[in-house]
Amino acid sequence: MHAVTQLMLLLVGAALVNNILLTRFIALCSFFGISDNMHTSIGMSLAVIFVMMLASTATWIAYYGMLVPLGVGEFLYIPAFILVIAALVQFVEMYLRKYSPALYRAMGIYLPLITTNCAVLAAATEAVKPGFFKMNMAYNFTLGENLIYTLGVAVGYGFALLCFTALRERLDLAPVPDALKGIPMAFIAAALLSIGYIGLGSLFGL
Amino acid sequence: MKEFMAVLRNGLSLENPLTVLMIGLCSTLAVSAKFEGSLFMGIAVIFVLVMSNVLISAVRRFTPDEVRIPIFIVIIAAFVTIVDLVLKGYFPSVYSFLGVWIPLIVVNCIVLGRAEAFAYHNGVVLSIADGIGMGVGYTIIISGLGAFRELFGSGKLVFLQHTLVSFGSAYRGPNILLLFPGAFLLFGLIVAGSRALNKRLMARKEAV
Repeated sequence: MHAVTQLMLLLVGAALVNNILLTRFIALCSFFGISDNMHTSIGMSLAVIFVMMLASTATWIAYYGMLVPLGVGEFLYIPAFILVIAALVQFVEMYLRKYSPALYRAMGIYLPLITTNCAVLAAATEAVKPGFFKMNMAYNFTLGENLIYTLGVAVGYGFALLCFTALRERLDLAPVPDALKGIPMAFIAAALLSIGYIGLGSLFGL
Repeated sequence: MKEFMAVLRNGLSLENPLTVLMIGLCSTLAVSAKFEGSLFMGIAVIFVLVMSNVLISAVRRFTPDEVRIPIFIVIIAAFVTIVDLVLKGYFPSVYSFLGVWIPLIVVNCIVLGRAEAFAYHNGVVLSIADGIGMGVGYTIIISGLGAFRELFGSGKLVFLQHTLVSFGSAYRGPNILLLFPGAFLLFGLIVAGSRALNKRLMARKEAV
Protein backbone atom coordinates (compact mmCIF):
# COMPACT_ATOMS: atom_id res chain seq x y z
CA MET A 1 0.00 0.00 0.00
CA HIS A 2 2.73 2.37 0.98
CA ALA A 3 4.52 1.79 -2.30
CA VAL A 4 1.39 2.63 -4.25
CA THR A 5 0.89 5.89 -2.33
CA GLN A 6 4.47 6.76 -3.02
CA LEU A 7 4.00 6.20 -6.75
CA MET A 8 0.81 8.27 -6.80
CA LEU A 9 2.62 11.11 -5.08
CA LEU A 10 5.41 10.85 -7.60
CA LEU A 11 2.91 11.02 -10.48
CA VAL A 12 0.91 13.96 -9.14
CA GLY A 13 4.02 15.74 -7.97
CA ALA A 14 5.60 15.51 -11.38
CA ALA A 15 2.43 16.45 -13.28
CA LEU A 16 1.06 19.33 -11.22
CA VAL A 17 3.23 20.52 -8.35
CA ASN A 18 6.49 20.42 -10.23
CA ASN A 19 4.90 21.10 -13.59
CA ILE A 20 7.71 21.12 -16.08
CA LEU A 21 6.48 24.11 -18.08
CA LEU A 22 5.04 26.53 -15.59
CA THR A 23 7.05 25.94 -12.45
CA ARG A 24 10.31 24.60 -13.83
CA PHE A 25 10.52 26.66 -17.04
CA ILE A 26 11.69 23.69 -19.08
CA ALA A 27 10.70 23.37 -22.76
CA LEU A 28 9.44 26.93 -23.02
CA CYS A 29 10.52 27.29 -26.65
CA SER A 30 7.87 24.83 -27.79
CA PHE A 31 5.45 26.25 -25.22
CA PHE A 32 5.50 29.69 -26.82
CA GLY A 33 6.31 28.48 -30.31
CA ILE A 34 3.33 26.23 -31.02
CA SER A 35 0.72 27.32 -28.53
CA ASP A 36 -1.21 29.55 -30.93
CA ASN A 37 -3.14 26.66 -32.47
CA MET A 38 -5.11 23.96 -30.66
CA HIS A 39 -4.59 21.36 -33.37
CA THR A 40 -0.79 21.51 -33.28
CA SER A 41 -0.81 21.61 -29.48
CA ILE A 42 -2.67 18.31 -29.29
CA GLY A 43 -0.29 16.68 -31.78
CA MET A 44 2.74 17.94 -29.90
CA SER A 45 1.42 16.81 -26.52
CA LEU A 46 0.80 13.29 -27.78
CA ALA A 47 4.20 13.13 -29.43
CA VAL A 48 5.92 14.33 -26.24
CA ILE A 49 4.14 11.76 -24.04
CA PHE A 50 5.05 8.98 -26.46
CA VAL A 51 8.69 9.93 -27.03
CA MET A 52 9.38 10.82 -23.42
CA MET A 53 8.29 7.43 -22.12
CA LEU A 54 10.46 5.66 -24.67
CA ALA A 55 13.42 7.98 -24.24
CA SER A 56 13.64 7.91 -20.48
CA THR A 57 13.41 4.11 -20.48
CA ALA A 58 16.21 3.96 -23.02
CA THR A 59 18.44 6.43 -21.18
CA TRP A 60 17.82 4.69 -17.84
CA ILE A 61 18.93 1.39 -19.35
CA ALA A 62 21.91 3.03 -21.03
CA TYR A 63 22.95 4.68 -17.77
CA TYR A 64 22.73 1.65 -15.50
CA GLY A 65 23.52 -0.97 -18.14
CA MET A 66 26.47 0.72 -19.78
CA LEU A 67 27.74 3.97 -18.28
CA VAL A 68 27.80 2.94 -14.62
CA PRO A 69 29.44 -0.49 -15.15
CA LEU A 70 32.10 1.22 -17.26
CA GLY A 71 32.59 3.86 -14.57
CA VAL A 72 31.95 6.85 -16.86
CA GLY A 73 28.46 7.85 -15.69
CA GLU A 74 29.72 11.03 -14.07
CA PHE A 75 31.19 12.70 -17.13
CA LEU A 76 29.72 11.01 -20.18
CA TYR A 77 26.03 11.15 -19.34
CA ILE A 78 25.32 14.37 -21.25
CA PRO A 79 26.65 13.25 -24.68
CA ALA A 80 25.37 9.71 -24.15
CA PHE A 81 21.82 10.78 -23.28
CA ILE A 82 21.48 13.26 -26.10
CA LEU A 83 22.74 10.70 -28.62
CA VAL A 84 20.38 8.01 -27.32
CA ILE A 85 17.46 10.44 -27.54
CA ALA A 86 18.37 11.66 -31.04
CA ALA A 87 18.84 8.13 -32.37
CA LEU A 88 15.63 6.94 -30.76
CA VAL A 89 13.58 9.78 -32.23
CA GLN A 90 15.00 9.01 -35.65
CA PHE A 91 14.03 5.34 -35.34
CA VAL A 92 10.54 6.16 -34.11
CA GLU A 93 10.06 8.48 -37.06
CA MET A 94 11.16 5.85 -39.60
CA TYR A 95 9.08 3.15 -37.93
CA LEU A 96 5.94 5.27 -37.85
CA ARG A 97 6.34 6.38 -41.44
CA LYS A 98 6.49 2.76 -42.57
CA TYR A 99 3.97 1.01 -40.31
CA SER A 100 1.51 3.63 -39.13
CA PRO A 101 1.02 6.42 -41.65
CA ALA A 102 -2.02 7.78 -39.81
CA LEU A 103 -0.11 8.25 -36.58
CA TYR A 104 2.82 9.62 -38.54
CA ARG A 105 0.65 12.27 -40.12
CA ALA A 106 -0.74 13.22 -36.72
CA MET A 107 2.60 13.80 -35.01
CA GLY A 108 5.26 13.32 -37.66
CA ILE A 109 6.50 16.87 -37.99
CA TYR A 110 6.84 17.28 -34.23
CA LEU A 111 9.13 14.30 -33.80
CA PRO A 112 12.39 15.89 -34.98
CA LEU A 113 11.62 18.96 -32.89
CA ILE A 114 11.43 16.82 -29.78
CA THR A 115 15.13 15.95 -29.99
CA THR A 116 15.93 19.46 -28.94
CA ASN A 117 13.00 19.69 -26.56
CA CYS A 118 14.66 20.17 -23.20
CA ALA A 119 11.86 18.34 -21.41
CA VAL A 120 13.01 14.95 -22.66
CA LEU A 121 16.63 15.44 -21.63
CA ALA A 122 15.58 17.00 -18.32
CA ALA A 123 13.34 14.08 -17.35
CA ALA A 124 16.02 11.59 -18.34
CA THR A 125 18.62 13.45 -16.27
CA GLU A 126 16.34 13.74 -13.28
CA ALA A 127 15.87 9.97 -13.13
CA VAL A 128 19.57 9.34 -12.59
CA LYS A 129 20.67 12.64 -11.00
CA PRO A 130 17.84 13.34 -8.59
CA GLY A 131 17.52 16.64 -6.81
CA PHE A 132 18.06 18.69 -9.94
CA PHE A 133 14.40 19.68 -9.83
CA LYS A 134 14.66 20.09 -6.07
CA MET A 135 11.86 17.61 -5.52
CA ASN A 136 11.29 15.88 -2.22
CA MET A 137 11.99 12.48 -3.70
CA ALA A 138 15.75 12.82 -3.81
CA TYR A 139 16.89 9.30 -4.53
CA ASN A 140 17.77 7.29 -7.59
CA PHE A 141 14.67 6.00 -9.33
CA THR A 142 14.09 2.37 -10.18
CA LEU A 143 12.90 1.64 -13.70
CA GLY A 144 9.25 1.45 -12.59
CA GLU A 145 9.42 4.73 -10.67
CA ASN A 146 11.18 6.27 -13.60
CA LEU A 147 8.29 5.31 -15.90
CA ILE A 148 5.65 6.69 -13.52
CA TYR A 149 7.65 9.87 -13.04
CA THR A 150 8.10 10.39 -16.77
CA LEU A 151 4.41 9.78 -17.39
CA GLY A 152 3.64 12.47 -14.82
CA VAL A 153 6.03 14.94 -16.39
CA ALA A 154 4.71 14.31 -19.89
CA VAL A 155 1.03 14.50 -18.93
CA GLY A 156 1.74 17.68 -16.97
CA TYR A 157 3.39 19.11 -20.07
CA GLY A 158 0.42 18.26 -22.27
CA PHE A 159 -2.13 19.60 -19.79
CA ALA A 160 -0.36 22.92 -19.30
CA LEU A 161 0.19 23.31 -23.04
CA LEU A 162 -3.49 22.75 -23.84
CA CYS A 163 -4.60 25.18 -21.09
CA PHE A 164 -2.27 27.82 -22.39
CA THR A 165 -3.29 27.31 -26.01
CA ALA A 166 -6.94 27.77 -25.10
CA LEU A 167 -6.01 30.99 -23.30
CA ARG A 168 -3.98 32.30 -26.21
CA GLU A 169 -6.68 31.65 -28.77
CA ARG A 170 -8.95 33.93 -26.74
CA LEU A 171 -6.17 36.44 -26.20
CA ASP A 172 -5.84 37.08 -29.92
CA LEU A 173 -9.26 38.68 -29.90
CA ALA A 174 -8.68 40.81 -26.80
CA PRO A 175 -7.86 44.52 -27.08
CA VAL A 176 -4.34 45.00 -25.66
CA PRO A 177 -1.82 47.88 -26.03
CA ASP A 178 0.20 47.82 -29.26
CA ALA A 179 3.59 47.14 -27.66
CA LEU A 180 2.22 44.18 -25.72
CA LYS A 181 0.56 42.48 -28.70
CA GLY A 182 1.53 38.87 -29.38
CA ILE A 183 4.42 37.38 -27.44
CA PRO A 184 4.69 39.90 -24.57
CA MET A 185 1.01 39.43 -23.75
CA ALA A 186 1.48 35.66 -23.92
CA PHE A 187 4.16 35.94 -21.25
CA ILE A 188 1.84 37.88 -18.98
CA ALA A 189 -0.89 35.28 -19.49
CA ALA A 190 1.66 32.59 -18.63
CA ALA A 191 2.50 34.47 -15.44
CA LEU A 192 -1.15 34.38 -14.36
CA LEU A 193 -1.45 30.67 -15.21
CA SER A 194 1.72 30.02 -13.26
CA ILE A 195 0.29 31.75 -10.17
CA GLY A 196 -2.46 29.14 -10.32
CA TYR A 197 0.10 26.36 -10.33
CA ILE A 198 1.79 27.77 -7.23
CA GLY A 199 -1.50 27.23 -5.44
CA LEU A 200 -1.23 23.53 -6.24
CA GLY A 201 2.06 23.39 -4.35
CA SER A 202 0.37 23.27 -0.97
CA LEU A 203 -2.26 20.81 -2.16
CA PHE A 204 -0.59 17.59 -1.07
CA GLY A 205 2.06 19.03 1.18
CA LEU A 206 4.65 18.24 -1.44
CA MET B 1 37.17 44.29 -39.04
CA LYS B 2 34.06 46.30 -39.86
CA GLU B 3 32.19 43.10 -40.64
CA PHE B 4 33.42 41.63 -37.34
CA MET B 5 31.96 44.55 -35.39
CA ALA B 6 28.69 44.44 -37.34
CA VAL B 7 28.19 40.75 -36.55
CA LEU B 8 29.13 41.39 -32.94
CA ARG B 9 26.64 44.21 -32.60
CA ASN B 10 23.85 42.24 -34.24
CA GLY B 11 23.71 39.85 -31.31
CA LEU B 12 23.40 42.69 -28.86
CA SER B 13 20.46 44.54 -30.34
CA LEU B 14 18.69 43.77 -33.59
CA GLU B 15 19.10 40.00 -33.41
CA ASN B 16 19.28 39.59 -29.67
CA PRO B 17 18.61 35.89 -29.09
CA LEU B 18 16.24 36.44 -26.20
CA THR B 19 14.13 39.46 -26.94
CA VAL B 20 14.02 39.31 -30.73
CA LEU B 21 14.68 35.74 -31.84
CA MET B 22 12.87 34.35 -28.78
CA ILE B 23 15.14 31.37 -28.33
CA GLY B 24 16.81 30.01 -25.22
CA LEU B 25 14.00 31.25 -23.02
CA CYS B 26 13.79 28.36 -20.59
CA SER B 27 17.12 28.88 -18.87
CA THR B 28 16.66 32.65 -18.83
CA LEU B 29 13.49 32.52 -16.83
CA ALA B 30 14.56 29.67 -14.59
CA VAL B 31 17.95 30.78 -13.34
CA SER B 32 17.30 34.52 -13.18
CA ALA B 33 16.07 34.42 -9.58
CA LYS B 34 19.60 35.20 -8.41
CA PHE B 35 22.20 37.54 -9.87
CA GLU B 36 25.17 35.28 -9.13
CA GLY B 37 23.62 32.19 -10.72
CA SER B 38 22.45 34.06 -13.80
CA LEU B 39 25.86 35.66 -14.35
CA PHE B 40 27.58 32.28 -14.19
CA MET B 41 24.97 30.85 -16.53
CA GLY B 42 25.71 33.67 -18.98
CA ILE B 43 29.44 33.03 -18.82
CA ALA B 44 28.89 29.30 -19.31
CA VAL B 45 26.77 29.98 -22.39
CA ILE B 46 29.33 32.43 -23.83
CA PHE B 47 32.07 29.81 -23.40
CA VAL B 48 30.06 26.99 -24.99
CA LEU B 49 28.77 29.23 -27.78
CA VAL B 50 32.17 30.62 -28.79
CA MET B 51 34.03 27.31 -28.56
CA SER B 52 31.41 25.29 -30.40
CA ASN B 53 31.03 28.01 -33.05
CA VAL B 54 34.80 27.95 -33.65
CA LEU B 55 35.02 24.16 -33.89
CA ILE B 56 31.91 23.76 -36.04
CA SER B 57 33.04 26.48 -38.39
CA ALA B 58 36.52 24.93 -38.59
CA VAL B 59 35.21 21.49 -39.57
CA ARG B 60 32.35 22.68 -41.76
CA ARG B 61 34.12 21.64 -44.98
CA PHE B 62 34.42 18.01 -43.84
CA THR B 63 30.95 17.76 -42.34
CA PRO B 64 28.49 15.81 -44.49
CA ASP B 65 25.18 17.62 -44.73
CA GLU B 66 23.08 14.62 -43.69
CA VAL B 67 24.70 14.04 -40.32
CA ARG B 68 25.51 17.63 -39.40
CA ILE B 69 23.03 17.86 -36.52
CA PRO B 70 24.42 14.86 -34.58
CA ILE B 71 27.93 16.22 -35.15
CA PHE B 72 26.93 19.65 -33.84
CA ILE B 73 25.31 18.09 -30.80
CA VAL B 74 28.33 15.96 -29.93
CA ILE B 75 30.67 18.98 -30.23
CA ILE B 76 28.36 21.08 -28.05
CA ALA B 77 27.93 18.27 -25.52
CA ALA B 78 31.71 18.00 -25.14
CA PHE B 79 32.06 21.69 -24.21
CA VAL B 80 29.04 21.52 -21.91
CA THR B 81 30.66 18.60 -20.09
CA ILE B 82 33.75 20.77 -19.54
CA VAL B 83 31.60 23.52 -18.03
CA ASP B 84 29.70 20.95 -15.94
CA LEU B 85 32.86 19.54 -14.38
CA VAL B 86 34.60 22.92 -13.88
CA LEU B 87 31.61 24.44 -12.08
CA LYS B 88 31.18 21.33 -9.97
CA GLY B 89 34.83 21.41 -8.97
CA TYR B 90 35.39 25.10 -8.33
CA PHE B 91 31.96 26.65 -7.62
CA PRO B 92 29.86 23.98 -5.89
CA SER B 93 27.29 26.47 -4.55
CA VAL B 94 26.66 27.89 -8.03
CA TYR B 95 26.54 24.36 -9.42
CA SER B 96 23.83 23.29 -7.03
CA PHE B 97 21.79 26.41 -7.82
CA LEU B 98 22.03 25.96 -11.59
CA GLY B 99 21.46 22.21 -11.36
CA VAL B 100 19.86 20.69 -14.42
CA TRP B 101 20.39 23.87 -16.44
CA ILE B 102 24.03 23.09 -17.06
CA PRO B 103 23.39 19.82 -18.93
CA LEU B 104 20.46 21.52 -20.62
CA ILE B 105 22.81 23.97 -22.37
CA VAL B 106 23.24 21.11 -24.87
CA VAL B 107 19.69 21.55 -26.07
CA ASN B 108 19.71 25.31 -25.61
CA CYS B 109 18.25 26.59 -28.85
CA ILE B 110 20.71 29.49 -28.97
CA VAL B 111 23.79 27.26 -29.21
CA LEU B 112 22.38 24.79 -31.72
CA GLY B 113 20.60 27.55 -33.60
CA ARG B 114 23.75 29.63 -34.10
CA ALA B 115 25.71 26.52 -35.12
CA GLU B 116 23.15 25.79 -37.80
CA ALA B 117 22.37 29.34 -38.89
CA PHE B 118 25.77 30.97 -38.66
CA ALA B 119 28.86 28.86 -37.88
CA TYR B 120 28.06 26.25 -40.51
CA HIS B 121 28.09 28.87 -43.27
CA ASN B 122 30.75 31.34 -42.12
CA GLY B 123 34.46 31.52 -41.38
CA VAL B 124 36.11 30.98 -38.01
CA VAL B 125 36.74 34.67 -37.21
CA LEU B 126 33.19 35.77 -37.95
CA SER B 127 31.88 32.80 -35.97
CA ILE B 128 33.85 34.01 -32.95
CA ALA B 129 32.23 37.43 -33.33
CA ASP B 130 28.81 35.85 -33.62
CA GLY B 131 29.44 33.68 -30.54
CA ILE B 132 30.57 36.64 -28.45
CA GLY B 133 27.77 38.90 -29.66
CA MET B 134 25.00 36.37 -29.09
CA GLY B 135 26.51 35.21 -25.80
CA VAL B 136 26.92 38.72 -24.41
CA GLY B 137 23.44 39.68 -25.61
CA TYR B 138 22.11 36.70 -23.68
CA THR B 139 24.21 37.45 -20.60
CA ILE B 140 23.16 41.11 -20.39
CA ILE B 141 19.47 40.27 -20.40
CA ILE B 142 19.75 37.29 -18.05
CA SER B 143 22.01 38.91 -15.47
CA GLY B 144 20.05 42.16 -15.61
CA LEU B 145 16.86 40.20 -14.97
CA GLY B 146 18.62 38.30 -12.17
CA ALA B 147 19.94 41.48 -10.54
CA PHE B 148 16.53 43.15 -10.68
CA ARG B 149 14.67 40.17 -9.28
CA GLU B 150 17.14 39.55 -6.47
CA LEU B 151 17.57 43.21 -5.52
CA PHE B 152 13.90 44.17 -5.42
CA GLY B 153 12.59 40.77 -4.40
CA SER B 154 14.84 40.12 -1.43
CA GLY B 155 16.33 43.56 -0.82
CA LYS B 156 19.98 42.72 -1.31
CA LEU B 157 22.43 41.64 -3.98
CA VAL B 158 24.87 38.84 -3.11
CA PHE B 159 27.83 37.78 -5.22
CA LEU B 160 30.02 34.89 -4.01
CA GLN B 161 29.11 35.54 -0.36
CA HIS B 162 29.77 39.30 -0.61
CA THR B 163 26.76 41.56 -0.22
CA LEU B 164 27.06 44.21 -2.93
CA VAL B 165 23.97 46.32 -2.24
CA SER B 166 21.47 46.10 0.57
CA PHE B 167 18.24 47.93 1.40
CA GLY B 168 18.52 46.94 5.07
CA SER B 169 16.65 44.25 6.93
CA ALA B 170 13.42 46.25 7.21
CA TYR B 171 12.83 45.97 3.43
CA ARG B 172 9.83 43.86 2.47
CA GLY B 173 9.91 43.34 -1.27
CA PRO B 174 7.19 41.96 -3.50
CA ASN B 175 7.66 38.24 -3.05
CA ILE B 176 6.29 37.49 -6.50
CA LEU B 177 9.52 38.68 -8.09
CA LEU B 178 11.36 35.71 -6.61
CA LEU B 179 8.72 33.19 -7.68
CA PHE B 180 8.09 31.81 -11.16
CA PRO B 181 5.26 34.16 -12.21
CA GLY B 182 7.52 37.15 -11.56
CA ALA B 183 9.94 35.88 -14.18
CA PHE B 184 7.21 35.54 -16.81
CA LEU B 185 5.77 38.94 -15.99
CA LEU B 186 9.08 40.83 -16.03
CA PHE B 187 10.27 39.11 -19.18
CA GLY B 188 7.03 39.98 -20.96
CA LEU B 189 7.59 43.63 -20.10
CA ILE B 190 11.26 43.46 -21.19
CA VAL B 191 10.23 42.04 -24.57
CA ALA B 192 7.64 44.76 -24.99
CA GLY B 193 10.23 47.42 -24.13
CA SER B 194 12.90 46.07 -26.42
CA ARG B 195 10.41 45.80 -29.26
CA ALA B 196 9.55 49.45 -28.92
CA LEU B 197 13.28 50.28 -28.82
CA ASN B 198 14.09 48.15 -31.87
CA LYS B 199 11.28 49.75 -33.80
CA ARG B 200 12.89 53.12 -33.16
CA LEU B 201 16.33 51.74 -34.18
CA MET B 202 14.90 50.40 -37.43
CA ALA B 203 13.15 53.70 -38.16
CA ARG B 204 16.41 55.60 -37.61
CA LYS B 205 18.26 53.18 -39.87
CA GLU B 206 15.76 53.77 -42.64
CA ALA B 207 15.89 57.53 -42.19
CA VAL B 208 19.70 57.61 -42.67
